[in-house]
Amino acid sequence: MTPEPQPLVLVIEDDSHLRQYLQTTLRSHGFRVEEATTWEQGRAAALRLGPEVILLDLGLPDGDGLSLARELRAASRVPIIVVSARGREEDKVLALDMGADDYITKPFGSAELLARVRVALRHSADRSAPPPAVVEVGDLRMNFASREVTLAHKPVKLTKNEFDLLGVLIRHAGQVLTNSQLLHEVWGEAGKAQGAYVRVYMRSLRKKLEADPTRPRLLLTELGIGYRLHSEPQG
Amino acid sequence: MVPVDGKPGCGELIRQTCRMAEARGAPWLGVHLDAPQRILYSKSEEQSLAASLRLVERLGGDLVRLQPSGDVAQDLLALVKARGVTHLILAREQPGWPARRASTLLEDLAQGDLDLVIHVLPAPPAPLERPSHPSEPDALDPRRLGLAVFFVALTTGVGFIVFRYLGLADVIMLYMLCITVAATQFGRWPTLAACVLSILALDFCFIEPRYSFVLTDIQHIGTFAVMLGVGWVILGLAERIRAQTRTAQEQERHARALYRLGRVLAEGGPAPAIRERVEAYLRQELGAPLALILCDAQGGLAEAGRPDLPLSRTELEAARAAMDLGVPAGHGTGVCPQCPCLMLPLPGTERALGVLVLPMVPGAALPSDRMSLLVPLAAQIALALERANLAEDRTEAIIRAQREQLRSTLLSSISHDLRTPLGTITGATTTLLDPGPQSAPEDQKVLLDTIHQESRRLLRMVNNLLDITRLESGLVQVHKEWAAIEEVVGSALGHLEEQLGSRPITVDLPELWIPMDPVLLEQALVNMLDNALKFSPPGSPIEVRGWADPTQFHIAVADEGPGLPPGEEELIFEKLYRGTGRPAAPGAGLGLAICRGIAQVHGGTMFAQTRPRGGAQFTLSLPLTALEGMPPDPESIP
Repeated sequence: MTPEPQPLVLVIEDDSHLRQYLQTTLRSHGFRVEEATTWEQGRAAALRLGPEVILLDLGLPDGDGLSLARELRAASRVPIIVVSARGREEDKVLALDMGADDYITKPFGSAELLARVRVALRHSADRSAPPPAVVEVGDLRMNFASREVTLAHKPVKLTKNEFDLLGVLIRHAGQVLTNSQLLHEVWGEAGKAQGAYVRVYMRSLRKKLEADPTRPRLLLTELGIGYRLHSEPQG
Repeated sequence: MVPVDGKPGCGELIRQTCRMAEARGAPWLGVHLDAPQRILYSKSEEQSLAASLRLVERLGGDLVRLQPSGDVAQDLLALVKARGVTHLILAREQPGWPARRASTLLEDLAQGDLDLVIHVLPAPPAPLERPSHPSEPDALDPRRLGLAVFFVALTTGVGFIVFRYLGLADVIMLYMLCITVAATQFGRWPTLAACVLSILALDFCFIEPRYSFVLTDIQHIGTFAVMLGVGWVILGLAERIRAQTRTAQEQERHARALYRLGRVLAEGGPAPAIRERVEAYLRQELGAPLALILCDAQGGLAEAGRPDLPLSRTELEAARAAMDLGVPAGHGTGVCPQCPCLMLPLPGTERALGVLVLPMVPGAALPSDRMSLLVPLAAQIALALERANLAEDRTEAIIRAQREQLRSTLLSSISHDLRTPLGTITGATTTLLDPGPQSAPEDQKVLLDTIHQESRRLLRMVNNLLDITRLESGLVQVHKEWAAIEEVVGSALGHLEEQLGSRPITVDLPELWIPMDPVLLEQALVNMLDNALKFSPPGSPIEVRGWADPTQFHIAVADEGPGLPPGEEELIFEKLYRGTGRPAAPGAGLGLAICRGIAQVHGGTMFAQTRPRGGAQFTLSLPLTALEGMPPDPESIP
C-alpha cells in the first residue's frame, strides 16, 4: 500500500518564529510545508509550487496581504487561509469577500490551525465532485433532493429561507461565511445591503436546531465577520 | 531713512516709513540727532522720544544716533551717503528740528546732489486738546440770565413795599439777598448781571433823586461797591463749592464704578470668561461699545479669537503699539492718532496683557474724567486677568502632575503584571529544556499547562491595554447595527469556554433587536464575565440577564461571590483600581474601565452594585433609540 501523497502547505509569513511554529506543527501532522517571507516570494512560490493550501499573513512587510490574496485567487482556486491580528475584522471580511476561504486570528492554537487547514482541503477536494444530495454534520442531516431536514432522526420543519441558509452553511461546513456571502447565496442580488436578513434567520434556525441558543454548538457566530457551521459539533 | 524725535506724530512717521520699506522689501533706518542745538526736552517729551526709539527697533529698523554738527542737512546728507540711503521721509512740519521748516531743510538737502528721493508726508494730526471740566456753569445760559433778571425785578417789586414801611437800608439788604441767591444758584454771568441790574434798579427806584440815575450822595457809591464786592465774593465761594461737589460726585461715581467692576472681577474664572463679563460691564457702565482684546501666551494679540471684533490695519497697529509701549494709543493720543479707536493697554507686571478698545466719535476727545476712570479700570482688569492666568497655570501644572502620576502608576503596574507571567514562562521553559534526572512526564505536562495559561493571561492583558488605550484616545469607531443579543452573549461565552469550564451559567435574555456594536459589546461582556469568574468561588453559578425598559436595554452579569466592599461601587471602574477587601487578582484593573468605556461610546452607562442576597452585579445599559431604520422583521423578508 503506497502512502497517500502528503498535501503541500505554503506559508507566507514574515515572522520567523511563527513560521517555525507553523512548519513544525503542520509537518508533525502529515503536511509538507514550503515557506515564503515576502509578498513577491509568496506570489512566485504559489505559482511555481501549486500548493494545496496557502496560509497568508495579511501583515507582510513589503505589500498588502489583501492584494496578494486577490492575485492568488485570480490565478487559481487554491484555498487561502488568511492569518491576521485581533481587531482587524474589516480586513478579514475584505479578504474573505475577495476570495480567501477562511481566516485565523493570531495567536492561535494548533487544534484551530489544523481544523482550518483540513476543512479547506476537504472543500477544495469536494469542489470537483457534483454536490451530494444528502449532507450530514453530526446529528444534522439535510436532504437537498427532498428538502427534508432531520436532527437526531427527528424531522425539523424549516421555511424556504431557513432551508436555503442552512444549506449554504452545511455545504461549507467548518468554513466561515461572511454576511454578504450568505446574503448573496440565499437572496441573490435582492439581498444586497440587507445585512439584517441573515441575523433574523440565524435566530430562528438556532431556535429550531440549538438546545441553548446562547451557547450554540452548531451555528457559530463570528462577530463582525459572519457565521460558521461547526463541522465537528459536540454535546 | 526717517528722522526720529520725541514729538507727537513721530511714531506715525516711523510706522509709515516701516510700511514703505516693507512694500519695497528694503531695510530702513531711523536717525536721531542727540539734543540738537541745546534744545532741552521736557520730561514727557523725553519719554515720548524713548518710546519712538523703541518703536524703531521693534519694527525692525536700524537706529542711528548722531552727534549734531549744527547743520542738520549736512549731517543727514553725510549719513545718506554713508549708508546708501535712497529714500528719506520727512513730515511737512518737522517739529524736532529747530528753526527748520521742511521746506528750507528740503532746499538744503536738494543741494546735496545725491540720488535721493525725499518724501514729505503731511504732518500727522496733533493730539486733541482735552477739554477740562465740563463748562456748563460758565456758559451764558439765557434761561439763567432771564431768571436773574426776573429775580431783580421781583426784588424791586418787594422793595417798593418795604421802602414804604421800612427804610432804604432794608431795601439794600433785600438786593443783597437777591445777589446772594443769584451767586449761589445761577453761575457767574447771571450773578454779574444781577449785581449790575440791582445797583441800577436801586439807584433808579429808591435813591434820591428817585426815578433818575443821577447820584447826589457820594455815600451810595460805597454801597454799590459793597454790593458788587459781596456778589463777587459769594460767587467765588459758590463756584468753589460747586467745583468741589462736582469733584466729589465724580469721585463717588468712579468709586462706584470701580466697586461694581470689583464685584464683576471677584467672580474669577478663566480669562475668556472674565473678558466677556468685563465687556458687558463696560458696555453697561460707559454706555459705549467697548471691547477687550487679550493677548495670547506669546504676547501677540489674540485677534484670531475675535471674529466679532474685526480690527482694521490701523486699529491693529494702534493696539500693538499700546501693548508694546504700555501707553494709550490711537485716537486723541500721540501714537497712531489716525486710528478711530482709543487703545488703552492693560498693564500687567511683565507686559501688557491686552488692550481696551474704545471706539471714539471722530474729532471729539475723551473727557478727562472718563480717562481718569478708565486708567484705574484698566489696571484692575489687568490685575484680575493676571490672577486668572496664574490660576490657569497652576491648574495646568496640577493636571500635568496627575497625568504624570497616572502614567508612572500605569507603567509600574503594567510592567509588574507583564513580568510575572513572563517570569513563569521563562522558568518553565528552562526546566523543560534542561529537565532534571528525576523529572517525570507528568511534570512536563504541568509545566506546559502553566506556560499555556500564562501566555493566555499575557495575551489578555495586552489586549486589554490596547482596548483601553483605543477607547481613551477616541480611536474606537462604533458600528451600530440591530444585533441579536443572544448572539453577542453566545459569542462572549464561547470566547471564555476554557475558563468557564463547568461553571453553571444561567442566561435569561428577551428576544429583541438591540442597536449596538456587537463586537464592542462582546468585548465588554467578556470582561464582565471574566471579572465574575475571578471574584467568585470556583463552581459558583454566574447569571447573565437582559431586560428592556422603554428607553434602555440593560444587560447584567451577576455572581455569587463576596460582592463589592461598600463605597467602592464607583472606584472599581477606575483604571488600575484593585479592590481593598478583595484578593489581588492578576491583570485586574483595566477590564471594568474598558466595559464602562464601551458603554459610554454607545451613549450608555454602567454601574455596579452588591445584590441583596450577596454577590456582585454589573449592569451595562444601552440607549434604545440611537439607530436609524427599523429592527429586522422576519415577515418582510422575501
